Amino acid sequence: MAILEVQAVEKSFGGIRAVDRCSLSVEPQSITGLIGPNGAGKSTLFNLIAGLYRPDGGEIWFADRRIDGLPPYAIVQLGLTKTWQIPHELKKLTVLENLVLAAKGHHGDHFVNLFLHPFLVREDEKRLRKQAQSILALTQLEALAHDEAASLSGGQKKLLELARALMTDPAIVLLDEPVAGVNPTLASGLMDLIEQLRKQGRTFFLIEHDMNVVMKRCDTVIVMHQGRKIAEGPPETVRKDPVVIDSYLGG
Amino acid sequence: MAIDTGILTNVALFASFSIVYAVLAIGFNLQWGYTGLFNAGIAGFFLIGAYTAAIITTPPDPPTVLGGVVIVPGHWGGLSWPFVVGASFAMIFSGLAAALIAIPTLRLRADYLAIATLAFAEIIRRVTINFDTFTGGTNGITRIPRLITYEPPDPFAGGMVLLGVGALVLLAVFLLLHFTLESPWGRVLRAIREDEVATMALGKNTLLSKIQAFALGGAIMGLAGALFIETKSYLDPQDFAPALATFPIWVMVIVGGAANNRGVIIGAFLIYGMEYVSVLLKDYVASNAIYYVRLMIIGALLIILIIYRPQGLLPERRRVLK
Amino acid sequence: MADSPATESSVAAGPHALRWRPFHLTAALRRRILRALIVVVIFVAFVGGLTAAFGISILQYTLYGFRTSAIVIVAAIGLTLIYGIRGFANFAYGDLMTLGAYVALFVNVNAQLSIIWGAITSFFVLVLVGIVLEILIFSRLEGRGPVAPIVASVGVGLIIQNGIYVVAEAQPRLFSVSLGQEVQIVPGLGISWLRDGVILGVGLGFMLVIHTLLTYTNLGKAMRATADNLELAKATGIDTKRVTYATWALSCGFASIAGVLLGIISDVQPLRGVTSLLLIFAAVIVGGIGSAYGAMLGGLVVGLSQEMVVPLLVWLGRPDVLGIPHADAYNVAVPFLILILVLLFRPSGIAGRQAAIVPRGVLAGAIAKARAARRTRLAAIDAGRKSG
Repeated sequence: MAILEVQAVEKSFGGIRAVDRCSLSVEPQSITGLIGPNGAGKSTLFNLIAGLYRPDGGEIWFADRRIDGLPPYAIVQLGLTKTWQIPHELKKLTVLENLVLAAKGHHGDHFVNLFLHPFLVREDEKRLRKQAQSILALTQLEALAHDEAASLSGGQKKLLELARALMTDPAIVLLDEPVAGVNPTLASGLMDLIEQLRKQGRTFFLIEHDMNVVMKRCDTVIVMHQGRKIAEGPPETVRKDPVVIDSYLGG
Repeated sequence: MAIDTGILTNVALFASFSIVYAVLAIGFNLQWGYTGLFNAGIAGFFLIGAYTAAIITTPPDPPTVLGGVVIVPGHWGGLSWPFVVGASFAMIFSGLAAALIAIPTLRLRADYLAIATLAFAEIIRRVTINFDTFTGGTNGITRIPRLITYEPPDPFAGGMVLLGVGALVLLAVFLLLHFTLESPWGRVLRAIREDEVATMALGKNTLLSKIQAFALGGAIMGLAGALFIETKSYLDPQDFAPALATFPIWVMVIVGGAANNRGVIIGAFLIYGMEYVSVLLKDYVASNAIYYVRLMIIGALLIILIIYRPQGLLPERRRVLK
Repeated sequence: MADSPATESSVAAGPHALRWRPFHLTAALRRRILRALIVVVIFVAFVGGLTAAFGISILQYTLYGFRTSAIVIVAAIGLTLIYGIRGFANFAYGDLMTLGAYVALFVNVNAQLSIIWGAITSFFVLVLVGIVLEILIFSRLEGRGPVAPIVASVGVGLIIQNGIYVVAEAQPRLFSVSLGQEVQIVPGLGISWLRDGVILGVGLGFMLVIHTLLTYTNLGKAMRATADNLELAKATGIDTKRVTYATWALSCGFASIAGVLLGIISDVQPLRGVTSLLLIFAAVIVGGIGSAYGAMLGGLVVGLSQEMVVPLLVWLGRPDVLGIPHADAYNVAVPFLILILVLLFRPSGIAGRQAAIVPRGVLAGAIAKARAARRTRLAAIDAGRKSG
């Protein structure tokens, strides 16, 4: 039973069909890669799944629930989180604040609770800060916890994206180029972390252009071209698929 | 001795009015400075609070009818309840109005929101003037009871009481905002102002948070309205024209620095100080022109500040996570 | 409004800015005229039915409606043009209208010249004012988002309004012009042939002027291109600065005419323009921001609804129905209600293009911008290829 299913999804902007009746599925506890030439519609598809766009047609299913048409916050609450290709760190907040913000179920998020249940709010804040600290440790950012997010380097901001996503306790994480622009050691560490988290039961669906990462780390690779899926399978098979090679050369 | 208390009473009145506008400006600062919602209808929420408080706290005032014709419309309510009740209901009704306005309009982009809120304020003002059996129409509402009645009347003591109450309210509002903005809820607001889409993608219902912020801001404006009627001691719908109750507030917040409540309070005292000085000067210059010149100065300030120093004279204070 | 004007290199503003394109009576044009005629017939039938049901006052208010619409249309065209190009709601527009009325008043009453001279002087004075505003203020706020120019325009409005109070009397004044008496065609239906005819005529005249300008002149095409996509217009050689000045000139000029017309049917006082501001905004938004044709439709809808609803309100205000005091005065709320409904259900208006909703639209807007930038780059490359 696939954890994520995209069925014949369409999305056009003006006259341009970004996603053209695309269908694919992601198996639970997998590390699935999504590749394809520029303009294939990969990021658009991620935005559609995450609820940031509404599809013009088709359906998106996440663990037995239909999620297309739901607002983004509801989809995150259900357990699907997406990171950004260009990091969207909250610049004026500290790294720790960025993380605690991402936590689900903080009683302090609701205005009335500030007055009706102040102690609950305080407890949640303490608990979630501890949780945030441990995730920061996992992503090797704990030294920067009280620094303004704007002061982080590019690679550190990418780590922050992943850390924030983990803070939402997701069943599946959509990673948009998680190691682009990150130095190889850090990238390797990040992918090791992902492998570790996968073993704990989470699913990872990632867009990547770095073929080494894709080949080494992904169980399955899905290839998109001009808004639809053109190939799918284990990395070695996909790599040799003439249709895939053609799409990259033809553009 | 009598002269001294006279001057002090005057200064106290100036401070009391400044406090009213400061509270109003803090409400707007929450909506605009902290949440990024541009409210061009501040006057409307101010009005709802003022009239609610007036209707609740004044004695009954039925219409004056002569030969079957209504000469003086009187006004509705007249429950003669204490000020605290009036102020509480003022906050509730203004906050509710703000929430109702917010639900359909907060998803609109900033200029549409400005037009919609401006329209709301104007319509509510015209309805208030029109529905005169309810609100006293252009006559307004008079005989607003003082907070403490002195027998024989003692303006100095009354003025001091008013100032004291006003200062307490201002302090309470300031602390309330400080508390809520440092809270987790306040953190969501800051995140929304920073990058709303990213905040949505982290699982926050940003629309709901914005509605709550707008409603809280509206409630604070309603409280300012209740304070206003006590300070002014009568209610005149003309006081709620946008040029008097919306645009000067923008100047106060821009002068003091958006998202900086301390600066906003200073801005309120400065801008209201201008009005106060102009009222004093009017007696010497013997012309109405000073009133209009003051508004022209406010207009010029708006233009100059928004071009050259939109972040205000005092910057936002940095927050440190302890 | 769908044709792309960017392909012709002759669009650049300059001495040939007002070159004319030929006029063709195409099949498409014939179809549109037919559709317009059908709408007119339906409208006449509708008003006829209402009159049969509610009496002759309906016709009277329909006439008032057309008269108000004419003025609102002229004003709304001016407002929507600058809204489309500079991207902000000009909150000083009502005060600009008032300024126009006062300049005309000065020429007409103080200098004792004909109202025509007053209107002409007023037009050119306001044209100057518009250009000065752009140079001094609004050019410096380019790229600062929609709120900053709104705040600045509020400041401008305050200065104009209170400046008028300081310089002129606050008392309502009348133009010194004799436009005939109101004549009763039928009992209950009065019309002042000259006055109402002038208003409707001027309104129609200016609608024709703007239509001709936008459709058949190079300046008009340049204006439409700039309003559509500023970067693309710049990339194809349009002098957008000149276009912006021209638009400000037109916008304020139209404001002055609307102000004078308003002064003719009512009076000239410092707050006269400001009280119409929301009505004109309603017309602009209902019609779609940036579209002059939308402004015409929006003005018609808003003007007619505000006047024709009065008999209904009077009936509702009767003691045996709802008993609301001064019920007829609530008619000003009707355009506002229409505005709210449009904002809720179709924010882009009848003829508009830009999305008004923020959260999910933010990403679409960013994508659209990126694609437009890509188009601009490609267009520039194309242009380079052609010339190079």
